[in-house]
Amino acid sequence: MKIIVPIKQVPETNNVKMDPVTGTMIREGIENIVNPLDLYAIETAIRLKEKYGGKIIVISMGPEKAIEAIKEAIAMGCDDGILLSDKKFAGSDTFATSYVVAKAIKELGDFDLVICGERATDGDTGQVGPGIASFLDLPLSTFTSEIVSIENGKIRVKRLVEEGYEEIEMTLPAVLTVVKEISDPRLPTLRGKLRAKKMGIPVWDTQKIGAEEQKIGLKGSPTRVVKIFTPKVTREGEKIIVKDEKTLYQAVDRIMDYLIKKELI
Amino acid sequence: MYNKLTPEIVEELIGIVGSNNVIYGNPDALEPYSHDEVAEKHYAHMPEAVVKPSSAEEIAQIMKLANKYKIPVTPRGAGSGLSGGAVPVYGGIVLSVEKMNKILEIDKENLVVVVEPGVVTNEINNAVKEYGLFYAGYPMSVETCYIGGNVSENAGGGRAVKYGVTGRYVIGLEVVTPTGDIVHLGGKVMKDVTGYDLIHLMVGSEGTLGIFTKIYLKLMPLPQAKVDLLVLFEDMDTAIKIVPKIMTFGRIIPTSIEFMDELSFKASCRYLNEKIPFEEAGAMLLIELDGNSKAELEEQYEVIGNLCMENGAIEVYVADNATTSERIWRIRRNIAEAWKQFSPHQSLEDVVVPISEIPTFIKRVREISEKYDIPIPCYGHAGDGNIHATPIKKPELSMEEWHKKLKTLLTELYMIVKELGGTISGEHGIGSKRKDYLPMVLEPQHIEMMRAIKKALDPNLILNPGKII
Amino acid sequence: MGEVWTLAEFRHGKLNPISFELLNRGKSLAQKLDTSLASIIIGYDIKKEDIDELIERGADKVYVVDDKRLENFIVETYAKVILKLLDEYNPDIFIAAATTTGRTLMPYIAVKKQTGLTADCTVLDIEEETGNLLQTRPAIGGNILATIKTLNTRPQMATVRPHSTKPALPDRNRVGEVIYKQFSDDVFSSKTKYIRFIKNESQQVNIQDAKIIVAGGRGLGKAENFKLIDELAELLGGAVGVSRDVVDRGWKTYPHQIGLSGKTVSPALYIAVGISGAIQHIAGMQTSENIIAINKDPDAQIFKIANLGIVGDLNEILPLLIERIKDYKKKEANLNV
Repeated sequence: MKIIVPIKQVPETNNVKMDPVTGTMIREGIENIVNPLDLYAIETAIRLKEKYGGKIIVISMGPEKAIEAIKEAIAMGCDDGILLSDKKFAGSDTFATSYVVAKAIKELGDFDLVICGERATDGDTGQVGPGIASFLDLPLSTFTSEIVSIENGKIRVKRLVEEGYEEIEMTLPAVLTVVKEISDPRLPTLRGKLRAKKMGIPVWDTQKIGAEEQKIGLKGSPTRVVKIFTPKVTREGEKIIVKDEKTLYQAVDRIMDYLIKKELI
Repeated sequence: MYNKLTPEIVEELIGIVGSNNVIYGNPDALEPYSHDEVAEKHYAHMPEAVVKPSSAEEIAQIMKLANKYKIPVTPRGAGSGLSGGAVPVYGGIVLSVEKMNKILEIDKENLVVVVEPGVVTNEINNAVKEYGLFYAGYPMSVETCYIGGNVSENAGGGRAVKYGVTGRYVIGLEVVTPTGDIVHLGGKVMKDVTGYDLIHLMVGSEGTLGIFTKIYLKLMPLPQAKVDLLVLFEDMDTAIKIVPKIMTFGRIIPTSIEFMDELSFKASCRYLNEKIPFEEAGAMLLIELDGNSKAELEEQYEVIGNLCMENGAIEVYVADNATTSERIWRIRRNIAEAWKQFSPHQSLEDVVVPISEIPTFIKRVREISEKYDIPIPCYGHAGDGNIHATPIKKPELSMEEWHKKLKTLLTELYMIVKELGGTISGEHGIGSKRKDYLPMVLEPQHIEMMRAIKKALDPNLILNPGKII
Repeated sequence: MGEVWTLAEFRHGKLNPISFELLNRGKSLAQKLDTSLASIIIGYDIKKEDIDELIERGADKVYVVDDKRLENFIVETYAKVILKLLDEYNPDIFIAAATTTGRTLMPYIAVKKQTGLTADCTVLDIEEETGNLLQTRPAIGGNILATIKTLNTRPQMATVRPHSTKPALPDRNRVGEVIYKQFSDDVFSSKTKYIRFIKNESQQVNIQDAKIIVAGGRGLGKAENFKLIDELAELLGGAVGVSRDVVDRGWKTYPHQIGLSGKTVSPALYIAVGISGAIQHIAGMQTSENIIAINKDPDAQIFKIANLGIVGDLNEILPLLIERIKDYKKKEANLNV
């Protein structure tokens, strides 16, 4: 089984502090990590490989330093990596990104599955996975929470939807985007790190993947960001500190008042 | 022996620090100053008043006043201590340094930072970071504790293997003596053998010999990169045997080598729902390295990791980014929290034994644990033999039984420590909590010398009485 | 000028009320552009009342594709049907809800149409000079808002965050046009087979549609303590949400998770209990209408976005609050007798 896992390197934002004056993110000292949701895709791929054998290829579109993310995935247990990097890719929106990744996947030849994280924690769109499926004209399962079975060239999966789960069956090759429920990512091991270190990661550019220049980068992006601004989070309302029984009762009274006045109860 | 505070004396205190900086006659406001982080309530004691001076001069006047009326004074930092050191066991005045919280000078030429005692330790690093410098002291409570308390307790913590403990970085002190004089020890010089080393008499004196009003700390270049290894072993013997090997064969001194016994990491991993194969392990080490570049660290962790694998490790996990590093460290950090879900009553100990004796110590602890039917998870700093053996009260045990059992249990525990050539506190201090156990590990002459020093500096025994001796 | 289209979600024989929120959005866009507003509804056995209700709530036209083969959501089939409609009618704007369906279908369609799509918008507007759709969405964990335009390609597509606006109100006298469409067999072919739907037994899981969410964090301490959260949620007729930590620790399942790696919600009331308010959590709930936070740490980030903050021990506060709500409800019930 040949599995392709597209991943993204993102800024680590869990421990981000906000500048109290400007209300913007303090970017100093923020490192780059594998998009946390992609770790579930990587883990899913590794488990499938452990069960069915085969090969996992990680691909990532980004600058040179995104190789770190690819190597982290290899250290976890993926086999190969390819970096999609070209100045011409810069400024790609989700359409152009899906196109570049889809072209690279085509270049890789036959495969059985493409597994993506449900979305990236920086852009937070969740559009590239479905976009890749659309470009490749492949069946797609988004929000995949479980792989039920793979047999006779078909994969059966469960998708996490609003009111429960949907079970669907797709012919292979297919594209999955996965949610956290599907697996628990392993940690990279020393052996994995040593293997990743030795490995050369090929860099593919526009020419290598045979992409049309009018479909990539800023030029190939149908959307454009026209304005970026900081939301006003000046909600900070009243605060009651519970110190003793008296203030405890006052606090609960206040919650009740609030609920009643706002007709929430 | 001591006198009670009177409204008249309080008026005098107000005269020194102003009415805003005196708490008196308000039990609600005084209560937070009656305890530190020691969980057991019976170690707490209410102060009669709290004063919050802003300068050495004010503190000197307070001490003179206290001597005049024979009122005990207990200095206090952030109150994050674990030995009852800041608790006013004889009542009297709690002298809080919370108002003295300024970083006075960052001397880039001499690599020295001068701070007041009430600065939160973490803030020192936030401030010197932009100059590419760092202060190496790193108690586990770094986000809340004050530097003054760190110096008083000679705090250790997570980075001690490579960087040593607080005292190593204290090169100068301004101290108010128990009798109310202001004295200056050391300064910005890196070497100083002029006379007795009073700085290091003061460091770790737990607030019994003087009150620090200015602290000169040595700074180091800020390491640019960090890697953590989580190593799973079948048993504690194999795990601990690797520690000297890292230092000798590896020629590397890690920033920290933390160990966790089965009781510790299994509770924490289950609590955290961690899915690494921890059930197969009998011991874990968490090894942290820091250095100037990822490349340099890569070489080092490979050496250490390979050493571990060659010497019986089940698996070595490598964390070189925030996601994985957090996942590894939270296992260590959540041990206490995980056990707290089982029972909130714990006695957090910090005994020290020679590194090679850790496995024996843990075996002996298991025996005590069985004998008393009290779980005692052990974890801590393998790199320096400092062990947090933590007896935990079973929920079904009554408080009365618990205290009775704990007392004999601790005596037995400390006996083992002594037998193995160790001592009863590596970083939390003696304070009031371990005072009765001191004669177990110190020779009578040693205690006598300490008494003589105390008497010479504090003839009225005004400053932080009821502690250590 | 092409029409403004909204996707009416129809599933398991029911029209998703989110469709009315889209009509509210669409109405103001269509008015600004002086064009008509249309809903497309595809599925099987679509009821007349549902179609009428779309009109009553603002649609000038409804395009209906009713076919047994559209009974269940298959992205390839749905996309092909919608692409047929788009090709025939060339709407200027096409919006859908950012539900699991919308977030699957829209990117699949956008690629085929070679046009732009903006995810999870919270504000939609029309640029006066150009008539372009201005699509505003939170990014980088809600720390910034970005306004995005689709330059030259059409339709301009966006998914809209559920509950970021109110549903359009019905006007029983409104009339509109209903256009039934049928397509040839090849449109319905796909490589995907729908097997079954497994309803989530826990009623408290569908947090995205809940009006009230009671959310618990690490401060709860352990799984058993969630019975307080469960009870409070049930009393208020709300759903239970949690922070990432709680799911990581196995105290609650992933469908409850709110935040960057979970769900984004905008309920009328969000009660955050024992949640410190890491950016990754706040990103998923900061557009809630009312936020009440209970946390023992006075410096917790969550207080910065709370309308009402209580600093204290949740184990003291929640039982008392639950008791008070029960009393209140009893009194109300008596008054109504």
